[in-house]
Amino acid sequence: MFHLRLSLFSRTKTLEEKIDSFHDKLLDVSMTFKKAVREFLSNGRSEDYKKLSKQIKQIEHDADNLRRDIEKKLYTQNLIPDLRADVLHIIENMDKVINKFDEVAYKFYIEQPEIPEEYHRRISELCDQTSDCAENMAIASRAFFRDFSSVRDYSQKVYFIEHESDLSSGRLKEALFDSELPLANKLQLSSFIEEIADIADIAEDFIDELLIFTIKRDI
Amino acid sequence: MDLSFFLYLSSGLFLGWSLGAGDAPNIFGTAVGTKMVKFRTAAAIASLFIIIGAVSAGSGASQTLGALGSINTLAGAFMTALAAALTVYWMVELSLPISTSQAIVGAIVGWNFYAGRQTDIGTLSKIVSTWVICPVLSGLIAITLYQTLKFLARKSRLHLLRQDSYTRIGLIVVGAFGSYALGANNIANVMGVFVNANQLHALSFGSFAELNPTQVLFLIGAIAISVGVITRSHKVMYTIGCGVMKMSPLMALVVVLSQSLVLFIFASPNLREMLISLGLPALPLVPVSSSQAVIGAVMGIGIAKGGRELNWNILLKTAAGWITTPIIAAGICYISLFFLQNVFGQTVYLP
Repeated sequence: MFHLRLSLFSRTKTLEEKIDSFHDKLLDVSMTFKKAVREFLSNGRSEDYKKLSKQIKQIEHDADNLRRDIEKKLYTQNLIPDLRADVLHIIENMDKVINKFDEVAYKFYIEQPEIPEEYHRRISELCDQTSDCAENMAIASRAFFRDFSSVRDYSQKVYFIEHESDLSSGRLKEALFDSELPLANKLQLSSFIEEIADIADIAEDFIDELLIFTIKRDI
Repeated sequence: MDLSFFLYLSSGLFLGWSLGAGDAPNIFGTAVGTKMVKFRTAAAIASLFIIIGAVSAGSGASQTLGALGSINTLAGAFMTALAAALTVYWMVELSLPISTSQAIVGAIVGWNFYAGRQTDIGTLSKIVSTWVICPVLSGLIAITLYQTLKFLARKSRLHLLRQDSYTRIGLIVVGAFGSYALGANNIANVMGVFVNANQLHALSFGSFAELNPTQVLFLIGAIAISVGVITRSHKVMYTIGCGVMKMSPLMALVVVLSQSLVLFIFASPNLREMLISLGLPALPLVPVSSSQAVIGAVMGIGIAKGGRELNWNILLKTAAGWITTPIIAAGICYISLFFLQNVFGQTVYLP
């Protein structure tokens, strides 16, 4: 019985740490992305940008491995049978956000868009908003595991910031298409703006589900 | 000792087996139904602790049943237990959470009728009152435990996985306590009618333990209950775990703890003496229905949650079983005693 208890707790502790690490990955990727976009706006596809882009790729790769490990352990060790499906959903949706950050960073790397200086501040602001959204989403998700009464507070922040990012991306696209830039540039930049704003949209969808899972988690 | 004693005892063993299949799932049903505890683990723990509870603390509640009807022949005891067992078996076949307590009370009253004995109304009303007190008390305990646990779960900020581990261990520990209480309280249902006609001898395990003849009788009955748990309780466990209300593992813990406490309160002579010595009102030592206790606890939680999630149809179906069970058992017992006496020439009662 004593052995059973110990092994159960050590398995649980390991998995707790893995889930925590997975949340850390989302925070890491979000902050690195913010830094990478700033670097790109200042110096284009510089060596520093390449390094940051590589770093994002590595975080994404590590997060994938962690996700697979968490999913496998949850099922093979028959943990939290009633909420297992919800937890898997949370982990997978967080992974989607991490993937999206990687996708956008890589798009900058490949396409090397020419961004006129007058839009730098606004694009940087949009990136800050989407990163904030993802960070608050990670905090809300962490709260689901430990302190579910505060999930609502962080969710509210995500909703607010997502709305702000919608406004920012709309205004930015409007300004872009009102400009004298060639149509090809306009379309390329518009696609970048949409991709960046998508991160906040995914975070918002995630929060919608998380709030439902939180109701189920309450005993 | 006459070997025919064991033949007569067979109906009690059958009743024990039925109790194991129908009532014991109340202890681990929610845990197994929510997949927190494997059936094999649940069955092993339940069997062991039912035997310990029955042998060490089973005498209190059986005295009350003895006061209801003092069945004085083996043939009479055989048929009383058989009538109750058939009733329970039938109800289990219908996948209804069944009350063995009510079946045996109905059967004893049937024997009283047949033997022309006056049923002690005082004892009967004491027993019937527990049919009401048991679920109500269980419900009140469940509401209190549920609110306390909810408060603690919010305040403790335990990781979801850690909470899951504690709940799992809690379900096993509380399940063991519940099995002990079930053995102590419900062995009276299985073997109570045989106590007055018991022909068994004391059993000694060297200096380790010594069992008096009643304890040996209870040991045999408890083994029969355990066989019922192992061989047939699986289906009912899932009905209980999934049927009445969708339950989280923490709610399952509340349900099992509530009903275990209720069974313990109605079975423990020590607790009763302690309450009396403290000048507090003590409840009678009566075999109560674990089904009633579990339904009371589930309803308690349902009410605490606003009453929206309760499946009233299953509750009503179960409540209908509580009324029909003793009536059916009394009817079967009365008719069977007639045949046993007049067709098989057995003495079913002594004047």
